[in-house]
Amino acid sequence: MSKKRILVIDDAATVRMYHRSILEDAGYEVTEAMNGLEALEKTLATKEAFDLYLVDINMPKMDGYSFLRELRQQPIRQTPAIIVSTEEQSRDKVCAFEAGANFYLVKPIKPGDLLAYVRLLLARGGKA
Amino acid sequence: MAIVKRKDTRIVDRDQRSRNRDFNGLVAQLSDSNPVARRWAARDLATYPEAVAVLTERLEKESDGTVREAILTSLILIGTPAAVEGLVRCLRSEDAALRNDAIEAMKSMPDEVTPVMTALLHDSDSDVRIFAVNILESLRHPDVEKWLIEVICEDAHVNVCATAVDILSEVGTEAAAGALEALKARFPGEPYIAFSVDLALKRIRAE
Repeated sequence: MSKKRILVIDDAATVRMYHRSILEDAGYEVTEAMNGLEALEKTLATKEAFDLYLVDINMPKMDGYSFLRELRQQPIRQTPAIIVSTEEQSRDKVCAFEAGANFYLVKPIKPGDLLAYVRLLLARGGKA
Repeated sequence: MAIVKRKDTRIVDRDQRSRNRDFNGLVAQLSDSNPVARRWAARDLATYPEAVAVLTERLEKESDGTVREAILTSLILIGTPAAVEGLVRCLRSEDAALRNDAIEAMKSMPDEVTPVMTALLHDSDSDVRIFAVNILESLRHPDVEKWLIEVICEDAHVNVCATAVDILSEVGTEAAAGALEALKARFPGEPYIAFSVDLALKRIRAE
């Protein structure tokens, strides 16, 4: 069985490395993008859709909400997305779900929590 | 479609010549229904420091990316404390794209932003403090490392400290090592802090 592919989108290199190390240790294949625009380009350039997206909100060029809104309009297989943000206010969560996120996690994330949500979403095909 | 676009632009160009390009005329055009007219008005208002309030107000509701870009460029060119204050207001916006635009704009005006940095780093809103740390990333100011060390020594919010560690891993020197070690001890239950501090120390000591 092929590895599930996860796109980690964050402008902070350390955060991308942290998520990559957790996810790769758990057997996932990880691709990184530094902002929403790069993530959209990588999504559209790949022949197989990513199985899950881990998305930061505040990023230059294209923020996480805008990325999700664009992603959800693309004629591709729609897969789950988790917003991973430093912002804890309810308005941010509302924006995230309206944009098309399936879960909203607040940084910093513990490895066990991240893997639990990733596994849950992958098992349910995006239905939280 | 391209022909229609060209026609629209010609109309605006002709209209511009006939319209008043003074301050009041430009302010009126900043609310024009045509984004091309708004973009020209935003660009030309860069020579009017008194335009900061109207530019910021427009920025907060502007949906066209090219007009936003023109407004931000004008605010950077104006560069007064009022312009910085307008950008700081955008950091508190609910619009994530606007917040990011404001951060990027502030990164490009180090001399103008420096006087407000201490206040931003002590803002009551942790999100604003995180944005302030993000601005430090490319501020090119001699106090950047000192500010970041203060953040990781004093700020109680884990994500503000985590953002500061990210930046320290790029700009930090041996002077930050003790504070980084102390931060790890201050947040013993946070694997991300341990990961990012170890990475920052490794990079600092490799240089």
